[in-house]
Amino acid sequence: MPIISVDHLSKHYQVHKKEPGFIGSLKSLVARKYETVKAVDDISFSIEEGEVIGFIGPNGAGKTTTLKCLSGLLYPTKGKLSVMDFTPFDRKHPFLRQISLVMGQKNQLWWDLPAMDTFLLNKEIYQIPTKRFSDVVDDLSVRLSVQDILHVPVRKLSLGQRMKMELIAALLHSPKVLFLDEPTIGLDVVMQKTIREFLKEYNEAYNATIILTSHYMGDVEALCKRVVVINFGHILYDGLLSDLVKEHAPYKIIKVIFSEVVEEKKLNEYGETKSYVFPEWEVRVKHKDANDAASSILKHLPVEDITIENPQIEDVIAGFFVANKKEVK
Amino acid sequence: MRYFRIFLIHLHRVIENRSRSIVWTLLALFNPLIYLCYWLAVYKSSGSMIGGWSLSEVTSYYLLLSVAGSFLIAHIDESVAIEDIYEGGLVKYVIRPFSYFWDLFFGELSWRIFQGLIGIGILFIIGISFQLLISFVSSPLHIFMTFISFLLAYTLSFLFKMILGFSAFWLTEFRGIQSSAEIILLIFAGFIVPLQFLPTQIKEISFLLPFAYMVYFPILAIQGRLEYVELLGVLGMQILWIGFFACVYRLMWNRGIKLFTGVGQ
Repeated sequence: MPIISVDHLSKHYQVHKKEPGFIGSLKSLVARKYETVKAVDDISFSIEEGEVIGFIGPNGAGKTTTLKCLSGLLYPTKGKLSVMDFTPFDRKHPFLRQISLVMGQKNQLWWDLPAMDTFLLNKEIYQIPTKRFSDVVDDLSVRLSVQDILHVPVRKLSLGQRMKMELIAALLHSPKVLFLDEPTIGLDVVMQKTIREFLKEYNEAYNATIILTSHYMGDVEALCKRVVVINFGHILYDGLLSDLVKEHAPYKIIKVIFSEVVEEKKLNEYGETKSYVFPEWEVRVKHKDANDAASSILKHLPVEDITIENPQIEDVIAGFFVANKKEVK
Repeated sequence: MRYFRIFLIHLHRVIENRSRSIVWTLLALFNPLIYLCYWLAVYKSSGSMIGGWSLSEVTSYYLLLSVAGSFLIAHIDESVAIEDIYEGGLVKYVIRPFSYFWDLFFGELSWRIFQGLIGIGILFIIGISFQLLISFVSSPLHIFMTFISFLLAYTLSFLFKMILGFSAFWLTEFRGIQSSAEIILLIFAGFIVPLQFLPTQIKEISFLLPFAYMVYFPILAIQGRLEYVELLGVLGMQILWIGFFACVYRLMWNRGIKLFTGVGQ
């Protein structure tokens, strides 16, 4: 039985539209024009307990709106939502005690006090027993290596350290469902990796269901087997990430370093050349032909080094959006 | 106990920000002291009694006003409207299993108590330095009723400021309504002159409005200028207005939260 089910969810906003300039302001004063923006339009999906789902899409696609509806922040225009058998917007306390929402661009920590003070506030708000609170803080702070900075004012922490504290604050009550909206935004690659590993561990340790939105495909690739691709408020794809890649990037990239110059004409028989600037050559070949092509290259060309790679997931997703853009519009 | 512990955590935060509290308390003292200087000059030229108030009573009124303003008037409207509604800070409150109202109520109460206590300290220093005699109520029952009227006054001003802040659910520009409300509060809560000095009709209207019950009457109560029956009437009016504001609050919250988009998040 799914822990989350979304049935024909729509969220529409009325946005005031004004022509530019003084005349536009006067017109707007007399008769305001409003436009309906369909942030999310008739989407349905369901999620099983313990799954980690990646919500991907460009800015304004409807990812965050969906997350906000699921966490009870936004009142849906249409449709039926169920999270652990609760209707999110009712915001019943037993529901709120089992979820958490982390937004990479906003924080819940008190800026001028150490993170521990916010943790103590959350302890009271979520009514966490003292022993359990200490155990969870110890466990999470060790996992995230922040034991030494729990008592340092938040304003003195780096962005990465703050995000770690945000995660601890959000996980103190051991939520069953975790909504993460761009949790690694603005972080350096090392910190991104740390956060991803932590989330993976958390999911495994607590069997938590995680819904993640991110523009960093590295996050999605590392954490999510299943992805929901969304654009213009519609779901374009819901399935395994590996299937999406196979379906929309049925090729591999062979990267070669030559030991001596090879004539460009000779290279065309192996596949579609992406780039060739001696000594580096990148060629696109069909999935099924990749191994044969590689051995043929090794046999016939002066190769110093060769690698076979999957295409960058960013490229696949970008290609997918371009292919679906017209259709959706 | 849970509410009390949450209040203590907020109080701890306020104490950490003590310099901010001191600045705000000094600012709150400033206006009443200016008005007091004006009245000192008026009394000098006009005689010993004006509108049934002696100079020492007026002095005591403005000195108490300066502290009562810090204790009783919530300053929550701007953060509700701008930080929480316009900038989306409300998100963090809405997804927690604790009422937004009570979280802010205790948070603001801790600011009021701390700033009020600083105000009492400053008032004490002023009183000693200028050898000013401030009259206080003395009977235990009167003190108890005055204390209740203070609690109700804070609740009333808190609800009023919350409602003011909630207007941001509908308005794209909140400052206009905020400034208007501030002016009304200044006049009808007795910040400029004791309401007794207003023309009869305006005074009668002001006694029907909620603002007089936020500051003016609690000050009269602590000065001992109200008989028990009058004090009971004040408590009744405070409860009546709290009931009305609570209904408006509930209505605005239920409707407004459906319009909330969490912009900036």
